[in-house]
Amino acid sequence: MFGALLVAGIVHGLIIGLAAMAVTLVFGIARFPNAAAGDTMTAGAYAGFLAHRATGSLALAGGAAVVAAGAVSLLGYLLVFRPLARRPVASLLVAAIGVAFLIRAVLGLMFGHQQQVFQVPLAWPIEVMGLRIPPMDITLAAVAGVSLAAAFGVLYLTSIGRQMRAVADDPDLARVSGIRPVRVMVALWLLAGAAAGIAGLMLGVKTVVSPEMGWEGLLSAFAAAILGGIGSPVGAVLAGLLLGVAQEVSTPYVGFTYKIALAFAVMLAVLLLRPRGLLGRVEEVR
Amino acid sequence: MSLLEIGGLVGGYGPVDILAGIDLTVEAGEILTVAGTNGAGKSTLAKAVMGLLPRAAGRIAFEGRDILGEPVEARLGLGIAYVPQVGNVFPSLSVVENLQVVAGVSDARGRIAELLAAFPALAERRRARAGSLSGGERQQLAFARALMARPRLMILDEPTAALAPARVAESFARIRGLPALGVSVLMVEQRARQALAISDRGCILDGGRVAMLGPAAGLLADDRAAALYLGQVGEAGA
Repeated sequence: MFGALLVAGIVHGLIIGLAAMAVTLVFGIARFPNAAAGDTMTAGAYAGFLAHRATGSLALAGGAAVVAAGAVSLLGYLLVFRPLARRPVASLLVAAIGVAFLIRAVLGLMFGHQQQVFQVPLAWPIEVMGLRIPPMDITLAAVAGVSLAAAFGVLYLTSIGRQMRAVADDPDLARVSGIRPVRVMVALWLLAGAAAGIAGLMLGVKTVVSPEMGWEGLLSAFAAAILGGIGSPVGAVLAGLLLGVAQEVSTPYVGFTYKIALAFAVMLAVLLLRPRGLLGRVEEVR
Repeated sequence: MSLLEIGGLVGGYGPVDILAGIDLTVEAGEILTVAGTNGAGKSTLAKAVMGLLPRAAGRIAFEGRDILGEPVEARLGLGIAYVPQVGNVFPSLSVVENLQVVAGVSDARGRIAELLAAFPALAERRRARAGSLSGGERQQLAFARALMARPRLMILDEPTAALAPARVAESFARIRGLPALGVSVLMVEQRARQALAISDRGCILDGGRVAMLGPAAGLLADDRAAALYLGQVGEAGA
């Protein structure tokens, strides 16, 4: 029982972690809380759902989710966030909420508000070390693992990733180091959109696809981004796993209704003990 | 032709002029210190030359070419580098990444090898996060980062302000070595006496204008400069 909940928690945690990564990347580099990240997830879920219905391939669904969510994310930057770049954070937050409503409205108009379900073949759980794990959970964990590896590969092994981390550290110094801000921002929004798209696809496969799904998942993503330390992608993924496992493992004790509240209690407790989050950094002053 | 020519430069962050008409040159191969009281416009002048001041008018020419309307990237490309007073390294990037991240450097790999050879303390800590470096190491990294693009003019904004007093002398010695690398220096500095001691010329700003300008040794010996701007010999911070 505990083992099964742990596995479910890890899969759920990977979904939260990917969404939190999208939030924390934008927070660290563009410096505002992107409330449209949840609905970008939804766009990815619908694209993945359509691709899966047409082809039956989860890999193609993943590709479609990445492309669609990346495109939605980039459009949001080009049409809304770039023109507002120098505005106060509160303005950008409200603008992001507006973008979120717009994406949701467009998806509702295009696909209706009824819930859609991924038609995945039923399969017997696989037994691993006494744990009965649904094969789809293994597939989804692998999808998340590959996506995270790709995202961290971009961030830590490529020139544009290094530039993104430099802008996150110090945008003024990045400017006098010749780093072109627009290129970094385009890469940022594509990467954040792709991560949100994969999270949306996974959430859709695990639950249902509906226009509201991403918005409802946004709070967990924000919580994990804060818990992990704002601007820390590794922290966001670890915090997502922590919240996901805490929610699932606590279900037998506190019930389905309160598991989310319990996850937030975990977050508050960690933040009270460690205000900068798990991996957030304190600016050093010499 | 001077390396840098500034003529009638006015400007500021908002509607108020902090620079009220500055005329100044930096010659190739020299170190020029800009001194003056707080609020005289020293750092503002440094920012104006780099293209970081929101509003500037007048003339700034680099190697004879007017750059006043050019953005920061273009000035970097022409050979001007800037080391800010604080926040002069990327703390979460490693030492090597701080150098790799500088854009527009031909043969970046070779250049990094040259700079690590020039700054052995950095070579030893090449994989360390810049945020974990000591103040002195951090400044060496800030200089190396600025030198990446092989600049001909380096603008230093209060290079010793964030250093422990014991590190100040070695910092000035490092700056003294820059012209030998083909880099001229425009240095804004509070520690005016020590800065002038390693400079060819000095300039004292007052109220956004050049109050005094001349050979560094002359300014150090000038009674009026000492009384009004440089503080007494041996005074803290002088």
